Amino acid sequence: MIIELREFTRVEGNGKAEIVVEDGEVKNVRLKIVEGPRFFELLTLGRHYYDVPDLEARICAICYLSHSVASVMAIERAFGVDVPEEIQLLRELGLIGELLESHALHLYLLVAPDIFGYPDAIRMATKHGELVREGLAIKAFGNRLREIIGGREIHGINVKPGGFGRYPTVEELELFERESGALLKLARRAVRLFASLEPYGEKAEHFVATDGYLWGDKLVSNEEGTFHYTERIEERSLVYSFAKQSHYNGEPFLVGALARLLLKADSLTPMAKRLFEEHREKLATGYVSYNNLAQAIELVYSLERANEIAKTLLDKGLEGENIPIAVREGEGIGYVEAPRGVLIHHYRIDGSGNVFYSNIITPTALNHAMMELSLLREAKRGYGELDECSLIQRLEETVRAFDPCISCSVHIVKL
Amino acid sequence: MMEKLKLAVFELTDCGGCALNILFIYERLFDLLEFYEISEFHMATSLSGENHYDVALITGTVSSQRDLALLKEARNHSDYLIALGTCATHGSVQASVEGSIRKKLEEVYGDKGNPMRALDSKPVVEYVAVDFALPGCPYDKEEIYQVLIDIAKGVEPVRKDYPVCVECKLNEYECVLVKKNLPCLGPITYGGCNAACIRSGLGCIGCRGPLPGEVNPASEYEILKDLGYDEDYIIRKFKTFARWEP
Ligand code: SF4
Ligand code: SF4
Repeated sequence: MIIELREFTRVEGNGKAEIVVEDGEVKNVRLKIVEGPRFFELLTLGRHYYDVPDLEARICAICYLSHSVASVMAIERAFGVDVPEEIQLLRELGLIGELLESHALHLYLLVAPDIFGYPDAIRMATKHGELVREGLAIKAFGNRLREIIGGREIHGINVKPGGFGRYPTVEELELFERESGALLKLARRAVRLFASLEPYGEKAEHFVATDGYLWGDKLVSNEEGTFHYTERIEERSLVYSFAKQSHYNGEPFLVGALARLLLKADSLTPMAKRLFEEHREKLATGYVSYNNLAQAIELVYSLERANEIAKTLLDKGLEGENIPIAVREGEGIGYVEAPRGVLIHHYRIDGSGNVFYSNIITPTALNHAMMELSLLREAKRGYGELDECSLIQRLEETVRAFDPCISCSVHIVKL
Repeated sequence: MMEKLKLAVFELTDCGGCALNILFIYERLFDLLEFYEISEFHMATSLSGENHYDVALITGTVSSQRDLALLKEARNHSDYLIALGTCATHGSVQASVEGSIRKKLEEVYGDKGNPMRALDSKPVVEYVAVDFALPGCPYDKEEIYQVLIDIAKGVEPVRKDYPVCVECKLNEYECVLVKKNLPCLGPITYGGCNAACIRSGLGCIGCRGPLPGEVNPASEYEILKDLGYDEDYIIRKFKTFARWEP
């Protein structure tokens, strides 16, 4: 017998699952990504490098800037270009904006209704309007950062190889400093709320992240030092899904907020670090549902860090100079932490500046195997215990904990 | 009290941006909810199961059998159907990838046939008649807000049919095509974004789709050629958001 879960709601994109039951026992779970394929790697082939980040941004709306930045970094590495600290800090601000916007959407509008027993945030707002408004305020601030650094709330083209189309003004930096400070209180409240969630899903054993907090030169895991994705991560095509599945040393693994906290707690800002310590024991169990709590702690981190960066830039003053790019043949990988975890863009570029090889691996594809494992565990636990409706609700919550971004997962090129 | 209109949001294959952008209306979402009740919105609510919608917004391209079935459902059950965003109106980036679906699947997924029944990506408007089309990758959220308010008040919304250039002039932005020699598609692209990219000092990449009618793609082509861009580059640029023969 196969129990079909209808398409998931309150996640980004279109996916569903099948539970395979034999002799009254749950035997298998298949997570099906039914979103159609989008062929981004093919789209970028033969394209001039300068236009590529704007195209890659369209992979995903929730994390468009992570795609632009990963793409720009891969291009800069291919050309051997290093950008100065100012440009790096501004990119980081943009990524922080994305983290805030994405985590706030997920926590307040998509997960919170589960905690209070509503089908959505709009209906939840009748009783918990305050909470919804707090979430919207954080989200709006995140988007403001994306708009100013990235050029638009969604799919801006301001992030360019070597710099920006337009640099922020002093007034805009001051606004970042002010607002980030003011919103901290709300984020701390969110940590309390999400700390109350009980554990569910699988316990992850392997965690992978970039070696810096929001980007890196390489990847790290809880088992070894730094490595390139080609050394340890392997992708497989599936017959029942448009998204491929990745394994790390042959095993399912977790990327995202929980992985970042567990692997890189040392780089946290003061208040975020305190909150992490307070909840360390829980988080270290590795239950994938604690990803929600980890995201709430990252709201605090992001606001503190945005404040720091705005201050630094205001003190130093902005030069606003782009680095010239000299085209040459080359290869580069950009590693960025999108809100949902490690994002990889890898290109080879020819002597006239056209991309001739491109590979993109998104966090949802990296988490795909872990998601299936978590669904299997919850299905086994709940089958026969819970009525079908509650079982399905629980399984949806389990998928939601990963905050999957299905649109981004469906266009992985073959290796 | 007036009966609220039933609003549905359907998402076919896309980046999620056009659905997400509705939530970016923020507090004013509550203003819209004075007139509308959300009956179907996959990304935002777990409720669904209505069989009639007064207004339906469709985002994305038809890229699989699932998309096609969903689109037909939506059309059959809605009074007023809006193709929302460039994916739905022109196909956007995924529809601009050339080649047959089989070939593309093989290149990306290896030799596995087509078990998930993917189709060649096409805009919604190629399959069903729509009552209104609002392009943009993504569309401007002020515009959809206005369109929904108009419909609620019984006014037929107006479609913007001038190029991005007009909005540059209104904002007094410096022309990046003339002043910086950037390949800007503003002269041949549907306006309505308030010249968002030119505000950043960058050229329009044509995300709202090609504007038909009086505009002149041939002369845009000549201008770019004179600026030294090669033919292949220009054609690819033109065809980024729509399959289009300039
Ligand atoms: S039109 Fe652009 S923003 Fe809208 S769904 Fe398609 S790719 Fe995303
Ligand atoms: S300027 Fe062009 S590319 Fe930019 S938002 Fe407007 S239509 Fe889209």
